[in-house]
Amino acid sequence: MDNTIQINRDVNIIAYYFRGKDKPKCFPKRMDIDGRQITFTETGLLHPTQKGKRMVHVFDMTDGKADYRLEFDAEVLSWKLVAISDANYATAY
Amino acid sequence: MQLPINKEDPQIMHVDLNSCFATVEQQARPLLRGQPVGVTNRISKYCCIIAASYEAKALGVKVGMRRDEALELAPNLIMTETDPPKYHYVYKKLLNILSSYSDNVVMKSIDEGVIDFHGTRQNINKRELSEIGYEIKARLINDVGSWMRCNIGIGPNRFLAKVAAGLHKPDGLDVINHNNLISTYKAMKLTDLHGIAERNEARLNAVGIMTPMEFLNAPSEVLRRQVFKSVCGDDWYKRLRGHEVDQHSSGITKMVGRQYVLDIRRPSDQEVRTRLSYLCETTGMKLRYRGLCARGIMVHVRYANGDSWYERKMFKSTFFTNAEVYRRATLLFNKRPRHTFEREIGVSCYMLAPSNMSQISLLEDINKDIWLTQAVDQVNNQYGEFTITSATSAKSKNIVKQKIPFGSTQYFELLLKSG
Repeated sequence: MDNTIQINRDVNIIAYYFRGKDKPKCFPKRMDIDGRQITFTETGLLHPTQKGKRMVHVFDMTDGKADYRLEFDAEVLSWKLVAISDANYATAY
Repeated sequence: MQLPINKEDPQIMHVDLNSCFATVEQQARPLLRGQPVGVTNRISKYCCIIAASYEAKALGVKVGMRRDEALELAPNLIMTETDPPKYHYVYKKLLNILSSYSDNVVMKSIDEGVIDFHGTRQNINKRELSEIGYEIKARLINDVGSWMRCNIGIGPNRFLAKVAAGLHKPDGLDVINHNNLISTYKAMKLTDLHGIAERNEARLNAVGIMTPMEFLNAPSEVLRRQVFKSVCGDDWYKRLRGHEVDQHSSGITKMVGRQYVLDIRRPSDQEVRTRLSYLCETTGMKLRYRGLCARGIMVHVRYANGDSWYERKMFKSTFFTNAEVYRRATLLFNKRPRHTFEREIGVSCYMLAPSNMSQISLLEDINKDIWLTQAVDQVNNQYGEFTITSATSAKSKNIVKQKIPFGSTQYFELLLKSG
């Protein structure tokens, strides 16, 4: 069983990195949540999705201990931590 | 009919993502990589696995297996729910990559596409197709992510390209041409051929055809008159020899509908009707999305004891609004036998024609219905599907999930809107 916990809270991204030569894309590098800083070590997938007419960019990131799902709202330029799944996946339903 | 084996250079490339949904989930969540993963539409005790990672497959987990069966084989299986926007993103990336090699690209489903290189090789792609195949693999990793893998098959026709794509999973690249066709068939079973499953195998066995080689050597007369009893026999005769018979586009939409396996074991009448209303609403959305209206409607029910029932009816007037679909479906649904609990319900609309939504009616009530539907659709397009929904289906909004369109991607955009 997947052990994803829904968070749905606004967070601050305090460091970014860029990838790609011709059209560099911006990715979050470090996140601040309640004074705790989480440094991402790998990007899983970046995909855009629509919420009504709004465009939201979904970033699946990991710090090696847990997977984080972040959403960047391109209209209001805000970051939201949507969910966390840690590495200890439970199997019981 | 007698045809030799097609000796033309292979010009068809079949690209198939490996365990697409499971691989995309592993790509998105690095901690899932290397672990047995099963993807399902809605996690429940008896849910069905619609995609399994290669690690899960190695433990015996198969697509279509129930979750409890899979957990017996792989106790550490991690189940995740489908996430259509991710798959849509990968689908679009794959389509972009394939389209850059030829304008004759057909996506057979979300995770597989066919490139026809006929007419492009002289000027554009002078390289070997296998070289292009390796480039596609590299571009997929570069554009989507390092965990993405795909099988590539190259052959003189679509069938052989598909067969080649299945030879070395995962991450294989194989070419079938007139030189290795016989040796490839010799190493295969009948059911390894795409399109030959249990029933067709039994048909072939009945006339003494037990292997692909015997299938290849069978005269077209035998295949047409004794095995398939139709022109399908001739098609198979040509297909096996590398001649193209599958180059047809998908036809006109004849039916639009939804079905749903109930999430409750012993649902009350009210609970079933709520879910039926939701199905009718999404069926109406599909109709309008395709610019169609319907004259016929069919409702089917499968019961807990395995019995099934269906009723269909044709109407004089056409319909496309959610309320009309629900009203007409309810007319039929009320006639169902009620001897036991429902397990699965479904609604389908048929006798489809181009929508007459823009035609103003002489009857004021019909116009009001159309204007109301247009206004609701406009709001839902702006703020997301089901922002305005009928009260009867409101409860099901968070229960019934949209399924991943397996066979076709024609409703993918609509699915994403409602996701």
